[in-house]
Amino acid sequence: MVKRAIKNSGLSGGESNIINENGKRLNDLDNKEGIKRIKTKSLYRQPTANELNRLQETENLFNSNLFRLQIEEILQEVKIKDKTVNRIKEWFSDFKTHLLSIPEDETEYDLSEKSFAKQLNVKLPISKEHNKTKVMFKFYKFTDVEIVGSYPLGCSINSKLIVDLQIAVPAETYTKNDSINYKYHKKRAAYIAYIASYLTQTDIIEELKYSFLNGCETKPSIDIKPSGKLGNHLAMRLNLVCDAEAYKLHRFSPTRNNLRESWLYSTENQENVSEIGPPTPYYNSSVMCDLTASYNQDFLKEILMNSENLKQAVVLLKIWIKQHDLQVSGYVISMLIAYLVQSKRINNIMSSYQIVRNVWIALKSSEWDSKGISLNKDQKTPSIEEFHQHFPIVFVDKTGYYNICWQMCKGTYCALKRESALAIEILDNGKINGFIPLFMTPATDLLQFDNILRFDSFPEVKENVLSRVPKQTRMNYGLDHLSLVTDTLYNLISKGLSNRVDLIQEIVEANFSWPVKTTLEKAKKEGYKENLMFGFILNENSMNIVDRGPPANRPEAEEFREFWGDKSELRRFQDGSITEACVWQEGPVLPQILQYLLLQKYGVPAARLRHVGGELAALDAEGEPGPRTRAVLAAFDGLRAQLRELGQLPLDVTAVHGISPVFSYCEPFPAAAGRGLRRGDVTLLADGGAYTPVNRAVLELTYSGKWPGDLEAFRCLKAAFHLQIAERLKKQYSLPTQAYDSHVDVLKNGLVFRLQIAHPKEITLLRRQVEGGVVKFKESAESVELERETVALPRLRGALHGLQRRHPGFGATARLLRRWLASHLLAPHFAPELCALLAAAATQRAGGARAGAERAALLRALRLLADTDWPRDVLLLDLGDGLAEEEMADIERRLRAQSPRPSMCVWAAGADAGAGPPGAVLRRARGLARAALQHVRAGGDVLEVFVPSLRGYDALVRLRARGWRRGGAGAAEAADGEGFIPVVEFDPVQKYLDELRSAYDDFAVFFYDEYGGDVIAVLWKPDIDEPREFQTLNANALMPVTINGETKYKVNIEAILEDFRILGEGLVIEVSQPTE
Amino acid sequence: MKSTKKTPEFKALELKLNENTISPHVIYFKEHSVREHTNDKPSGRTLFIVNIPPYADEKGLMNAFSAAGTVQSVIFSTKPNSTSTETNLNTFLKKPQKPSFKVCYLVFKKVSELDKALKLTKLCPMNSNGHEIKLGMKKWIDEYNNSIETPKAMKERIEAFMKNYDKKSEEVEKQEKALEQEDSEGWVTVTKKGKVQSFARSEKVENKIMAKEEKNKKRKELKNFYTFQIRESKMKHIVALRQKFEEDKKKIAQIKQSRRFKPF
Repeated sequence: MVKRAIKNSGLSGGESNIINENGKRLNDLDNKEGIKRIKTKSLYRQPTANELNRLQETENLFNSNLFRLQIEEILQEVKIKDKTVNRIKEWFSDFKTHLLSIPEDETEYDLSEKSFAKQLNVKLPISKEHNKTKVMFKFYKFTDVEIVGSYPLGCSINSKLIVDLQIAVPAETYTKNDSINYKYHKKRAAYIAYIASYLTQTDIIEELKYSFLNGCETKPSIDIKPSGKLGNHLAMRLNLVCDAEAYKLHRFSPTRNNLRESWLYSTENQENVSEIGPPTPYYNSSVMCDLTASYNQDFLKEILMNSENLKQAVVLLKIWIKQHDLQVSGYVISMLIAYLVQSKRINNIMSSYQIVRNVWIALKSSEWDSKGISLNKDQKTPSIEEFHQHFPIVFVDKTGYYNICWQMCKGTYCALKRESALAIEILDNGKINGFIPLFMTPATDLLQFDNILRFDSFPEVKENVLSRVPKQTRMNYGLDHLSLVTDTLYNLISKGLSNRVDLIQEIVEANFSWPVKTTLEKAKKEGYKENLMFGFILNENSMNIVDRGPPANRPEAEEFREFWGDKSELRRFQDGSITEACVWQEGPVLPQILQYLLLQKYGVPAARLRHVGGELAALDAEGEPGPRTRAVLAAFDGLRAQLRELGQLPLDVTAVHGISPVFSYCEPFPAAAGRGLRRGDVTLLADGGAYTPVNRAVLELTYSGKWPGDLEAFRCLKAAFHLQIAERLKKQYSLPTQAYDSHVDVLKNGLVFRLQIAHPKEITLLRRQVEGGVVKFKESAESVELERETVALPRLRGALHGLQRRHPGFGATARLLRRWLASHLLAPHFAPELCALLAAAATQRAGGARAGAERAALLRALRLLADTDWPRDVLLLDLGDGLAEEEMADIERRLRAQSPRPSMCVWAAGADAGAGPPGAVLRRARGLARAALQHVRAGGDVLEVFVPSLRGYDALVRLRARGWRRGGAGAAEAADGEGFIPVVEFDPVQKYLDELRSAYDDFAVFFYDEYGGDVIAVLWKPDIDEPREFQTLNANALMPVTINGETKYKVNIEAILEDFRILGEGLVIEVSQPTE
Repeated sequence: MKSTKKTPEFKALELKLNENTISPHVIYFKEHSVREHTNDKPSGRTLFIVNIPPYADEKGLMNAFSAAGTVQSVIFSTKPNSTSTETNLNTFLKKPQKPSFKVCYLVFKKVSELDKALKLTKLCPMNSNGHEIKLGMKKWIDEYNNSIETPKAMKERIEAFMKNYDKKSEEVEKQEKALEQEDSEGWVTVTKKGKVQSFARSEKVENKIMAKEEKNKKRKELKNFYTFQIRESKMKHIVALRQKFEEDKKKIAQIKQSRRFKPF
């Protein structure tokens, strides 16, 4: 027994005993563990059940691994720190003790007298309009103060955290009659002032301010900034609610009236007039909000309290809402989650990702504007239809009387719905990492909306609207003028623009809080700015110049006439119908409609409206890209048909592809027809002239095995073909032609097309190398270049052309981006394809580009340029939507593995956009893009972002301004050039730049605006001033200098500057070095 | 040490474009001496110059050294010691010359003239003796006009080139034919076109053969047959998942590093 006991104790003592005794054993064990650890690190270890679960779970419950990890990270990031939580706890217990020590007060105050405020030494947080309400107020002490809202539920976000505190006012405070004519509100304000006055006496509060709850002017609350470090992290908001017993809820049903007309319209006190007016649902809700608060809070608690996943979902949704700048409160979101739980569409077993996804799907398919939802299942409460008659958006709470969305404008709801639909689309699109656009990228109104309507001096507009709204509406909103104006204008605009826009969203700026010791009126005068804007997302109808109404003989026609007034006229249309219609002028129609309607309905003069969005259309139109591109495409189609029918060629032409930017609407200054002088079939050059670009295209011939296997012979044969095509085109269609070794120039409809035969064999021949007797194929610079021209570019142009068909705003975006880069002298470093693909990516990300929204489109492209992490990220574009996910992943892997990695990695339609700009240039471009965005965000003119700065360059080469500049439109010289090919592609500045680059690439970088610049800016390479070693191989531009008696060598900058002058003889005016 | 030893070999002088040039480049020259002299760069008469400015032409350099004597020929090159100047003869497309800093071999008529050149203290400007280097607008206009060729001239050029090419390829064929004959020791070279067919020696063909072998090997293998294979394939699935997980974790770490998880 004893032995066994000893043995047992030895065992139970565990290995520790043995280890202590025996050092060797210790080592062994350590070793074993070491081996084990290595094993667990390897990929082939046995999986634990836990791990298997997690791996499988990720596959099923989350979009992807990456998504899950990202969600975990972001949740961690927004979580409130434990330190702060402790501080809140501490502060709140102090606060509570202080508040509860408030003495009872038996005096009854007459609130129409000033003595009350004087005694309290704080002002009442309500406007003077309430003076006509006469009530007596007695302070009944409350029983408790508690923390409510998202913080105790654990679904708050640590940025700009506001902790909601709540006091329930005892029911005795209010009498039965207090529900009408703002008596309730006035007493509530008095109660708040009473508490505020008491709070001024404690030192745990640093700042005490009044503010309006959700912008509702009759419902103030107290904003508290706690003293100490806590105040830096968060704010407290003390809100008053009412004991539920105070009133029966049905008194505030949407159909009931609680605000008498006599009160609102007369300054006399006429309380005894007892006629009952129209229903006042808005006013009712403002009271009911307080009555139902505790009940709904309890309900929420019950559902969310122990459900971690639901809470996480709420947090995620809140982040999403904040990033997308939607004016939806976290409360509505929590209630929605509760609703979905109640209707069993989600539950806590789901992952947060699944919940969020389901919420989005529910929102996407919801119709709160016509089929509202209710948390209440009781039959006795007012019906949903009743709510719909009085509220634009309906979401009824647990009690069945209170509409949670009573303040929500329809625009906000539509935006919420639209964003949800977009979110689902992003999630379902496996090709992009949806997390970043959904949760990480903040949307700004300038980028979000195609057009924005702003008001200069909004108070004036507000007055205009207020004076003209019908009485009934005014009654409903009572003293809340801002909501009244917002809703009224929204209704008008949405009716006026009906089918032209996808979304109208109101943007209200009205955050106001003021010190408790100032009156509301005084504070408002000092610095309260409320503002209203409307953002629009256009659709394809936005440019229609005719609004067709109903047929003239229908009863609706009367309504149409009434709405549109004089603008409406009877018109006969091509299909024979005669209808009422409004006709607008060509050009941007939206501003016209808005101007007309606002002036006609509410007397808002046009000068008060500011339309933001289409300012860049004029800039884009400088080169007439629309009509000219169409002319080029039409001529090209004709030429293509002719080429295909060309006879007597050894090989037939099977396909013709355009490769110039103009073929995908990306050329800011397309060629114009009928320019240039002549002699022979071609024009010889005497002394410059207008720059005429050619439109380049590649030809494919029928297959033949007889092409020679020698590169030079191949090229010679190709030249022979060019010669023959030129000859045949001339004979068969009498088109002026000129053959060259590498291409043929053809004049068609006054436009020059440069055709070039493309054959894969030439690429193969360029790749061919013989190594040790074995033929190997390796990419060379030349083969890559040829492949991009003859294979990649035709595909890319085709795909982009398709994109333009789908999104008519794409071309303008690409052209403006190009112009922007050019205006900052950067365009020569960005290939045209790269530029077009950037615009395409921005277009796709924004879900399309509409005509008339150039500004937003350009800004989106700039943001893409600025925000993308170019050294790390790869931009994969799917223009045809034809690639499987695995293929995309494969391509991405291949692009990532490239070495050296191009500075910008963009891929689309089977081709990458080539090497990007040099690193320094890219950095500058991104910096400029960021600055441009900031400038516009700060309210600057968007045209100003096109103004370059020549500061910071080392040298400037001024050029003679001549007609050859692109975009300098150049005088059309003797249009009798019909029949002769004009001087084409002769751009001396380009030639000059090429020479500079080839000769001085080691020393400097050159910048130039190809669309009308008269200066080349030069930046020396950073090491230009350093002394160098003299080597036979690398003695370029060095000059001997004597430093400390020793001969060293430096770059001869003066000589190089002189070279610039020499090489550009006849073009350069002066070379200067700006001194700083 | 090396560089200080080397530099004295070179003599540095300023090379002006014309009389008005204010800040000219400095060119460095010495006698061209290598182990094996070619015919076009004869020993003792050739001057080796580096750092020739991009716009300099042959006549200009002749002018510059006219004080030393008559220059027989000027050979430009982008790199020293490159021998391939004749390759241009065989190409059909002429590559446009890109201006850049060059090196140059200047061959004098007499040896004494070279010595004289090495003792020069000043060079004449390149634009002298009635010569003017065409630059800027004039050059570009000329280039443009010269690029236009009449169809007839172009045709002739093409025909001439093809004739030359045909002749050459005929010769090559003849040579190959000759190879097929037994040589003096009885060896026969196997070529593509002979009676004895062989496969083309290209990378593609080699790869094909290797792939075929691989395939054959694989075909003989049994898959998902033995228990251990099934177990392994299951493991592979897990490994793939893990790998993905690891990759994603790395990505996250990257994003985290660039502080992109702060949403606001």
